[in-house]
Amino acid sequence: MSTDQQDDQGEEDTLVNVADGVDHQVAMVMDLNKCIGCQTCTIACKNLWTEDGGSEYMYWNNVETKPGEGYPRGWEDSGGGWESGEHSDRSPGEIPDEEDYGRAWEFNHEEIMYEGSDEPLRPRDGAEWGPNWDEDQGAGEYPNSYYFYLPRICNHCTHPSCVEACPRSALYKRQEDGIVLVDQDRCRGYRYCVEGCPYKKVYYNTVSKKSEKCIFCYPRIEGEGPDGETFAPACAEECPPQLRLVGFLDDEEGPIHKLVNEYEVALPLHPEFRTQPNVYYIPPFAPGQHTEDGETVDIDRIPRQYLRNLFGDGVDEALDTIDAHRQRVRQGGDSELMELLQDKNPAKQYRLEVFDDE
Amino acid sequence: MADHRRTLALTAVLSALIVVSTVAAPMVSARPAHEIPVSEVSTADLAEPDADGWEEVPASDVPLSSAPSSVPNADDTSIETVDVQAARTDQRLYVRLEWQDATRDMNASATREFADAVAVQFPVNTSSRPPIAMGGPDNRVNVWYWSGSTGTQELLAGGAGSTTPFQNPTVQANTSHSGTGGNATWTVVYSRQLDASSENRTDLRTDGDLDVAFAVWNGSNGERSGQKAVSEWHYYPFSGGPQGPPYETLLWTLAGIAIVAVVGVTSFGIYRTRGAE
Ligand code: SF4
Ligand code: SF4
Repeated sequence: MSTDQQDDQGEEDTLVNVADGVDHQVAMVMDLNKCIGCQTCTIACKNLWTEDGGSEYMYWNNVETKPGEGYPRGWEDSGGGWESGEHSDRSPGEIPDEEDYGRAWEFNHEEIMYEGSDEPLRPRDGAEWGPNWDEDQGAGEYPNSYYFYLPRICNHCTHPSCVEACPRSALYKRQEDGIVLVDQDRCRGYRYCVEGCPYKKVYYNTVSKKSEKCIFCYPRIEGEGPDGETFAPACAEECPPQLRLVGFLDDEEGPIHKLVNEYEVALPLHPEFRTQPNVYYIPPFAPGQHTEDGETVDIDRIPRQYLRNLFGDGVDEALDTIDAHRQRVRQGGDSELMELLQDKNPAKQYRLEVFDDE
Repeated sequence: MADHRRTLALTAVLSALIVVSTVAAPMVSARPAHEIPVSEVSTADLAEPDADGWEEVPASDVPLSSAPSSVPNADDTSIETVDVQAARTDQRLYVRLEWQDATRDMNASATREFADAVAVQFPVNTSSRPPIAMGGPDNRVNVWYWSGSTGTQELLAGGAGSTTPFQNPTVQANTSHSGTGGNATWTVVYSRQLDASSENRTDLRTDGDLDVAFAVWNGSNGERSGQKAVSEWHYYPFSGGPQGPPYETLLWTLAGIAIVAVVGVTSFGIYRTRGAE
């Protein structure tokens, strides 16, 4: 039932492995079947955290179309992570360049708004790539083309190779909840974390000359907001279809633990990087393929091997389990799993105060 | 009895070897190759890289090699030697460093951009020599650092990864990059008051030899942190004459005498015991 086959030194009172020296582990489950690619999460995050000079190009939360190059372009082949499950040797990685992230374009607002130009609103020059340049492109041939959206944040990994990569220990995993942070006082802008993260979720601020990353909105989950209330990260709270569950992996009463460890239907992205992410995904379903005449046939539209490449071999069983529970409910039966995947009760969707009394 | 004599002969040879090696050790570490002459001057026109005063000051070629480090590509460094000059007035120490670097990398304002940099390292406590790689927890180093993107910094370190900048740096640096192509060179002149203005700063008034080491980073080769070209420990002979640091010599001599004494007493003891049989 444990998610970590490599080491079994979990706390004694739980079956869930959290990192050594960490009391509890924050976690998120995203149901990819509900994502409409609206980017509300991306903008919620950007407005909160990356509006200042030097961070224009950063999207701590991004939503990319899969199959696709992603953000930054080609991140899946940019190296980083661990060589083996022993977490002793790191794989070398590369720092993406500006073009891979996508430069902020200059638009012809001036001409259109003030100078009466009637040309269409468009980037001035050099717009050859950017985040979501290949949005909705996907793969496959009509009538069997396919794509889905993949929202990504830092995975606040149990074995974060970004932390290990820093020769100054400027990155660390918080003891209370396993959030991975960059100490801005210790960082000297070496960017080993940027290249060391296989998800490319640490970014270099070109003005402060230090690295930055997703902070899991820790001031919100600590109740630092205006009314002292606890809020889930902005990307989760602002999501129109509310597809994100937020809580602790080791909260055995919570939906995340059930989906990840009991039903094993929520899977980490690219487990072969071996950082053991704490963001999990319900893999996407798609209608079967169509024939030329529009008949639906029993062939996967999204090639199963593609999903295995993204989510590991566990994806077959995860999809089978969800399918079986769907059938059960269709036939009038009960399924806790189906309720969890549909649950709109906020008390269950965001469980951030369960360990507050400790 | 023959046995006793063989034992004694062996002990004598061994102790002789030990004495030779203890005496030889300081000689090796003190060979003039590691000495960097310092001109004592009364007035100084030395603050700028091209100041006339530097024409009178002898230069030493200091070889550099990749620092041992756990960071990726640590053995990929590109600067192989740095020319070092030093001069001292009764107020300030001036250190001029010159090395070849075809590109003038002044910025770190793109994600893959790193700036050229150079550093001079001194022991905080001048009476003992710290570990070369950024010192150690009990034996810290004071580092004068300049990089194209950050400017001058004065740092304190007690081991790799512990580097911390001083709030109010007391070190000045003036730099220039001149020439083109393969002959282009960086010149950086550091200077500081001889007085250590606070704790954890090296006192440059010392009359003893002053240990010093150098490091250079080539930004366009992605060099930063532990990926750097470094020298071994060298020293400024403030005491005059090409000797090793006196403190060290003293220690080695004491150790040598102690070893000889122990061996002597032990052999004598064995001889007495056996003789009494
Ligand atoms: S996703 Fe990357 S940045 Fe986030 S914890 Fe894992 S290794 Fe570090
Ligand atoms: S806000 Fe929700 S639905 Fe919209 S892109 Fe983000 S995760 Fe997808």
